[in-house]
Amino acid sequence: MSAILDDLALLSVTGAADAFAKGEAKAEALVSACLARIDAHDVKVNSVIRLDREAALEAAQALDKARAAGEKPGPLAGVPMMHKDMYYRAGKVSTCGSKIRRDFKPSVTATVLQRLDAAGAIDMGTLNMAEFAQNPTGHNAHYGDCHNPWSLPYCTGGSSSGSGAGVAARFFACALGSDTGGSIRLPAGICGVTGIKGTQTRVPRTGVMPLSFSMDNVGPLTRTARDAARVMTVISGADGTDQTAAPESVPDYEAALTGDISGLRIAVPREWFFDKADDIVVKTFEAALEVLKARGATVDYVSAPSLAAIGTYTAVISRVEGATIHANWMREHPGDYAIHLSGRLFGGYAIPGHYYLEALSRRGPLLRQFCKEAMADYDIVATPTLRMRVPTLAETDIDKDAEANWARHMVVSANTRPFNYLGLPTVSIPVGFDDRGLPVGMQLSARPFGEAKALKVADAYQRDTDWHARVPTL
Amino acid sequence: MATDPVPQIAEAIRLWSGVTCPNAAGKRGLEDFCALIKDFEAQRGTLVFEDEPSTFEAALRAEAESEA
Repeated sequence: MSAILDDLALLSVTGAADAFAKGEAKAEALVSACLARIDAHDVKVNSVIRLDREAALEAAQALDKARAAGEKPGPLAGVPMMHKDMYYRAGKVSTCGSKIRRDFKPSVTATVLQRLDAAGAIDMGTLNMAEFAQNPTGHNAHYGDCHNPWSLPYCTGGSSSGSGAGVAARFFACALGSDTGGSIRLPAGICGVTGIKGTQTRVPRTGVMPLSFSMDNVGPLTRTARDAARVMTVISGADGTDQTAAPESVPDYEAALTGDISGLRIAVPREWFFDKADDIVVKTFEAALEVLKARGATVDYVSAPSLAAIGTYTAVISRVEGATIHANWMREHPGDYAIHLSGRLFGGYAIPGHYYLEALSRRGPLLRQFCKEAMADYDIVATPTLRMRVPTLAETDIDKDAEANWARHMVVSANTRPFNYLGLPTVSIPVGFDDRGLPVGMQLSARPFGEAKALKVADAYQRDTDWHARVPTL
Repeated sequence: MATDPVPQIAEAIRLWSGVTCPNAAGKRGLEDFCALIKDFEAQRGTLVFEDEPSTFEAALRAEAESEA
């Protein structure tokens, strides 16, 4: 691959969009650079399910013509993207990472895809994912496991495995993921990129495969917080179709990224997030806090309420809702699921209805309590994205050995799940590497609808560090 | 509670939902249920009579970030 093509593939969302807007790079060249990189390296990573090569090049050429004709480019014009294979595009297969939907062609196009199209983003195809977005490691028995670009035997995190791995590998500048228990933040943290799930209800879910309708979120994985801010500004806000989407107006998230976090107050919960944590993760996280302190933020360790209860309730809601959605397929052809997924779904049918309703009913009161006790005097809650070092694919593979690997598999999402139950906007950013050369991530959570504040802190951190700019050798 | 509740739970699932235990992973998942029941026991008494699921969206708005 030529150096020039490789350089274009290394551009971030804002870098590519700005280069296109200024006439410094053509959309066709940006897409060609990414396609060349995918061709060269995805055989090792396995992040792609379907590559729409010709359609992407045609879209890029149309964009170049429009620009040459004097048309004003959109905020994401010319930016190559691919998305988790659960965002419906009418008439195109959306496998949802499954055998069951291997040939499923939806009749609708997801609102978020329509918005990205309108902003000028170029959709190059679909990405590997955990089957039906149902595991935190990214294993996939039907399309093959996705591999961590930093070290191929290690997992990518899930369920948005291809999104995290592909952004890290510089196959594209942005990918949509989905996050019900951490499925954006885990692959972001584990692959060394930036990922955000917004406030519950912030981004409409029309045309998106459901997993757990109470806690599903749509969001981007990108290289930088600034990239994430630009994409969130485009995709957020009610669409008139998803009746659960919040009607609150959407700010320009990018405008909030001033770098000034002096006086900003950060809380670090003592409980839950550090239980049996690996030392290298804790040390790396603490070093990241020092960067924020050097920028003028204050950091205090605080007591956060009811995290064990939140963990329990989160598991109940996701398992019951997932089991409900999959009931017909579980009755009619359970053998079409991977072993770990049918096993996981099966347990959901045993949970009594009143447990489920209790878990849902406590959600509002527990959110109020968390905000009152852990956030009353603080702007941001900071936590490690993952308690442990990044595990290998083998040591978290339930299909190979359920008894040996079950517990290790399940703990992967322990630090991300609480923020789904609480519905808080949370961004994960890379803050270093462990002793095996795998990334370490930090979560930054704000109060409801405080995406701008979480992104502002993430951006401030990235102004003083270069973890997000490092490129894995493939 | 029986010493090993897994067979009873699996049978209840088959009876109520028409889904049979698919594999060893399904059985392994049910083994976590004793801990889940204990976790719920620990929360007994915290649910207020008037609590209902719709309070969550209200809480999101009530606790919203004031600075855009």
